[in-house]
Amino acid sequence: MFTSSAISVHNLRKLYGDKPAVDGLDLEVPRGCFFGFLGPNGAGKTTTIRMLMGLAPPTSGTIELLGLPMPEHALEVKGKIGLVPDESLLFDHLTGGEFCEFVGRMYGLEKPVARERAGELLGLFELAGDSRKLIGDYSKGMRKRIAMAAALIHRPELFLLDEPFEGVDAVGARLMKEILLDQVRHGATVFLTSHVLEVVERLCDRVAIIQDGRLVLAGTMAELRSGSETLEDVFVRVVGADGPAESLDWL
Amino acid sequence: MGKRAVAIVWAQWRSMRNHFPRSSKAGAVFTGLLTTFWYGIFAYLGVLAAILLANPEEVHFIHQVFPAALLLCFLYWQLIPVLMASMGSSLEIRKLLVYPIPTGELFALEVLLRISTGIEMLLLIVGAAVGLLRNPKIPHWGPSALGVFVIFNLFCSAGVRDLLVRLMSRRRVREVVALFFVLAAALPQMLLLSGSRARLQRLFAADASPFLPWTATARLAEGDFQWKTVAVLFLWTALAYIFGRWQFERGLRFDAAEAAAKGASAGRGASRMEWWYRLPSAVFPDPLGALVEKEFRFLSRAPRFRLVFLMGFSFGLLIWAPMAFGRESARHSVMGDNYLALVSVYALLLLSDALFWNAFGFDRGAVQVYYLAPVKMSTVLAGKNIAAVALVLVEIVAIALVCALLRLPLTVLQVVEAFAVTAVVTLFILSIGNLSSFYTPRAVNPTRSFRTAAGGRMQAMLMVAFPAALIPVALAYLARYAFDAEWAFFAVLLGGATLGALVYSYSMASAVEAADQRKEQIIRALSQGEGPVES
Repeated sequence: MFTSSAISVHNLRKLYGDKPAVDGLDLEVPRGCFFGFLGPNGAGKTTTIRMLMGLAPPTSGTIELLGLPMPEHALEVKGKIGLVPDESLLFDHLTGGEFCEFVGRMYGLEKPVARERAGELLGLFELAGDSRKLIGDYSKGMRKRIAMAAALIHRPELFLLDEPFEGVDAVGARLMKEILLDQVRHGATVFLTSHVLEVVERLCDRVAIIQDGRLVLAGTMAELRSGSETLEDVFVRVVGADGPAESLDWL
Repeated sequence: MGKRAVAIVWAQWRSMRNHFPRSSKAGAVFTGLLTTFWYGIFAYLGVLAAILLANPEEVHFIHQVFPAALLLCFLYWQLIPVLMASMGSSLEIRKLLVYPIPTGELFALEVLLRISTGIEMLLLIVGAAVGLLRNPKIPHWGPSALGVFVIFNLFCSAGVRDLLVRLMSRRRVREVVALFFVLAAALPQMLLLSGSRARLQRLFAADASPFLPWTATARLAEGDFQWKTVAVLFLWTALAYIFGRWQFERGLRFDAAEAAAKGASAGRGASRMEWWYRLPSAVFPDPLGALVEKEFRFLSRAPRFRLVFLMGFSFGLLIWAPMAFGRESARHSVMGDNYLALVSVYALLLLSDALFWNAFGFDRGAVQVYYLAPVKMSTVLAGKNIAAVALVLVEIVAIALVCALLRLPLTVLQVVEAFAVTAVVTLFILSIGNLSSFYTPRAVNPTRSFRTAAGGRMQAMLMVAFPAALIPVALAYLARYAFDAEWAFFAVLLGGATLGALVYSYSMASAVEAADQRKEQIIRALSQGEGPVES
């Protein structure tokens, strides 16, 4: 039985020039948790997830994933993570099947195993009919689905998902949610960023809200929604966007 | 090589295979022919080298010229990518960094990919190795030194590339860095200019220092075995490995977004440029004015364009100066008399990649807007062409000003000639470029200062299209030589300009037709990224 957190972040800072994108972030994500990481545009969500993925080195602070310090144990930890990154990390000139197989092989699966699992995942995500289509020709929703399929291929312990439901249709989104919930039931941890608060409210058991690179609220869903407030009400109140909206005369 | 490295090579192969049949067949055939032609020349030279080096009678000659030949190979391998602002294929580290791949495997792959910047030299070296193997006076182990020399070049090339890519990602400093590198590339020319010809000649001499990597390689390849020479070659290779690995690992830890964010504010510099950006709107009505203004803003901020623009009036001047003014006797040579026109045409060659051949490759996202907005494609193309011509004009003015500042011997007639020659060549390049922009569009990242496309493809394009655009100007110079009169030169140039205008008008109509007919292919080609390797 693991006792350490799935994600443990202490005093994490990332400076872009003089401007802090992430400013002293402390975060604990327990294992087996469905964690929603929220914030307005430019709050530092993507920068945080990029640092967790190892794509951007932090300016200062510490990151531990699955109980192991990063980047010292990067190779070991990366093998246990499933990623749905932003779209730019896909390979547009590969077909969906080729991409899944490639990702499987990157995670050390034998070629026949990777190929077999890739075929099964394409079927699961209803992409089998488009298996010969290049990812560059995929719609936005299909790109997210193929990224999710590839993230599952090596049965990871921790999922880092950046806006996984963006552009995905209702059927695809439901499928993705069911798969993720099933993974959590089997002990995996999901860390996701999303702007769709209804989805976060329905799926996540813990939530953190970040603004201007700083954590402004964190807790279980039950703690945050005390009273009759929805997550949207809490979010708008916390980020201070509940003032009257300005209007343009000519519009 | 590890399992993952094999998977990366497999994915790259699939990416290339998937890409080619879907692009335009005519474009693929054209590119294939040009590439075959370009590499064919070097393969032919490789065969000549093999024949020469296989001859036992030529051992003394080989001893004399081999160190210099290997030095030229080294310079070509390391400097041509800088000179052409093209760094060849490379791993998409950003995409691969999320996977559990050992750094050593990535480095090994990156080093192998450096072959893409030196295929020409590899063909020559393989030819030389075959020749030496067939030479009865040279021991069979000799040519293996050439293998070590290739590895030395690959390590050096990997280090230079990673260093450049990192430095070029930093705002404000990248132009300074670019200038430094192009000046370094022009060092041999500068040595010639400053009268250090003897020092330079020593580098190329048969009895050059045995501590230089090319001399050590040459001596070993000839079969002159000495432990000291072996140690020198391996020491240089080890140093190149340390440099390459060090730069590669720094590249892995490098956050391009962070570097780009430093000094990202537009600040005072942007407001100083505002009058220049607004100039087209004062001259042309909208939407043409807005299109040209957008091009000015976009290109002025694109590192790739800024680099080639800077190279045009710095590197261009330096690289040709020794040939034009190096020797007293050359001051009134053909080169010296036509120096400004020569440098202007060279600047045009550098700018052509950013302004003409692939006009929509940089602002690929905007192409969909052009198709959706209520604007004629001919207006869009005209906007791009006007912006290109204006920027070429600024470049030539800059070259002329730098020449004047350096007190190079120039007459008013030579300045007029440079502008006239550039104008005629530009007309033809615009005509070819408008067509190639729609027939062989290719997504390009404008934030990268150095091209990633395999050098040969672009060089092959320049080998054929650029000389074709130079034919009318060449005829004008021929007329001047034949009739020994300026009127003959300008008359033929005027004829060329008239022909250029006709060709331009015809190509514009064809390009607009192609834009309409090939809408889907163009959008698809411009919206596609790459595989695990940028190429």
